[in-house]
Amino acid sequence: MSKTNRLLADSGFTCLVLLSAFGLNLLLQNQFQTPAMTPMIFVLGVFLVSWRTQGYLWGIAASLISVIAVNWAFTYPYWAFDLISPECISSAVAMLIVAILTGGLTTRLKQQEKLKADAEKERMRGNLLRAVSHDLRTPLTAIYGACSAIVENYDGLSRETQLKLLKDVQSDAQWLNRMVENLLSVTRVDADTVRLSKNSTVLEELIDSLLLKFHKHYPDQKVHVEIPEEFVCIPMDAMLIEQVLMNLLENAIFHAHGMKNLWLRVTVRDRKAVFSVEDDGCGIPPERIDHLFTGLLGSEAPTDTGRSNMGIGLSVCSTIIKAHNGQIKAFNRPKGGAAFSFALEMEDRKHAEQ
Amino acid sequence: MPNNKYKLLVVEDDRSIASFVHTVLETNGYQVLTTERCQQGLLMLTSHRPDLVVLDLGLPDMDGEEFIRTARQESAVPIIVLSARTEEQDKISALDLGANDYITKPFGTGELLARVRAALRNNRHNSHAAAPGSVFTLDDLMIDYDRRKVKVGAETIHLTQTEYNILAFLSQYTGKVLTYSAIICAIWGSLDEGSVKKLQVNMANIRKKLGCRPGENRYIVNELGVGYRMLDVQE
Repeated sequence: MSKTNRLLADSGFTCLVLLSAFGLNLLLQNQFQTPAMTPMIFVLGVFLVSWRTQGYLWGIAASLISVIAVNWAFTYPYWAFDLISPECISSAVAMLIVAILTGGLTTRLKQQEKLKADAEKERMRGNLLRAVSHDLRTPLTAIYGACSAIVENYDGLSRETQLKLLKDVQSDAQWLNRMVENLLSVTRVDADTVRLSKNSTVLEELIDSLLLKFHKHYPDQKVHVEIPEEFVCIPMDAMLIEQVLMNLLENAIFHAHGMKNLWLRVTVRDRKAVFSVEDDGCGIPPERIDHLFTGLLGSEAPTDTGRSNMGIGLSVCSTIIKAHNGQIKAFNRPKGGAAFSFALEMEDRKHAEQ
Repeated sequence: MPNNKYKLLVVEDDRSIASFVHTVLETNGYQVLTTERCQQGLLMLTSHRPDLVVLDLGLPDMDGEEFIRTARQESAVPIIVLSARTEEQDKISALDLGANDYITKPFGTGELLARVRAALRNNRHNSHAAAPGSVFTLDDLMIDYDRRKVKVGAETIHLTQTEYNILAFLSQYTGKVLTYSAIICAIWGSLDEGSVKKLQVNMANIRKKLGCRPGENRYIVNELGVGYRMLDVQE
């Protein structure tokens, strides 16, 4: 929240609380004809203000205003000031103490919460770094090994062997590139200062561009595509959403063992476009389904799966969809196989029709 | 020995990329000049008069866009820009400044060669473009410019005037990415707020009429967020 916003919200809140305390007191005084409740209600108001606002300032201001209000309106002489009576001074001191203590306590509490959140973020970052380093080292080792094998035994290796080694290098490099793209996306979404570059994107063009890239990497995998016939426009960061879908499709290829069919479906439901990627493979083990997107399965569990890229890929998906105000879900299909789905807000229809 | 090879200038500061691009282009029959500096690149542009420039956008001594702007003042040489994935906005502004095409890093040799060929061919085309009676063909798509007729296979496609204009415009620049604003300016003359949407709706209709399915577009490639590109015959 920006500073001016914060200031406005705090002052607004303070005014609101004090006005309601004043109103409530007037009401009670009329009802019960006794001022006994008055200080209590104002103390409660001061407490609320110190608790919900930033720093000490608003709490102290509220306590002073309350003292004046009590003095003016609710103690004898009514509707007149009598600031030097001991009653008034003692109640002012009490209110100030409440305000300062509450303000101090809540400030400390907020600091602690922030520290905790920072530590959590730091821990996540550490996990990510560990997983990334591991995942990067595997293909790098393979590339380095293959290249040195060729350089050092150039004349000793047959043409076929060389070609095979080079093809491995090629595919490892492509894999590395996809990994780096995922990481770039995360940093782009993670950094609080950078906002998504949301553009209205034509669904059909998105799917077309995605499939083109997908078939470049996996020419043999057929994808059953079902999208609405109508012209659908969705505001999104197209590059990131494309990456989410790419990760989901790739995820199926790597992990849905025994898969025969792969579906990519988009349906329109109440001004929302629901994307889903489904397969008829082995499904997701139930014990993993809950922390699939919290990322980095590998960081705590041993990463013996080799270059799965899945932990990072799926947590990237979840981060990107969250940044689009959505939520990604994973579940097992009743007929077998895994399904991933998320929904995005669509554009207003009147724009879509020229 | 007479040398009638195309002369290509590569402006790239990363040694490995420059060396790989150089090797690929040279083994495919082009004469290649390389430089790591924009300033020197501009000098070579005037002294060597290359047929095409491959330019990395992120060079240390000068902004790549500045290079394009300066180069365009004196020559219409085709410029292909190399850019990283995260620089969409840079791509668009480079194209609007007069770059002919871009390639996203990392790229394969096939992609590089296809773009180079397309850019060189386009340059030749445009010098004597739209000759009377000319016909454009791509796969089974046929555009008869004189009679403003479009056919897929034997079937005549009925396009609206705007749809035809867009298709014909794209077909004059096969292989080249045309930005939304470039197409809009060519078709409607001016750019306003709703015009990208208008273009996208027209494109959707064109795709439908040409019978294109997502993932199997045989004629026009969507460059998401940037523009459209008609495939080149040899791609």
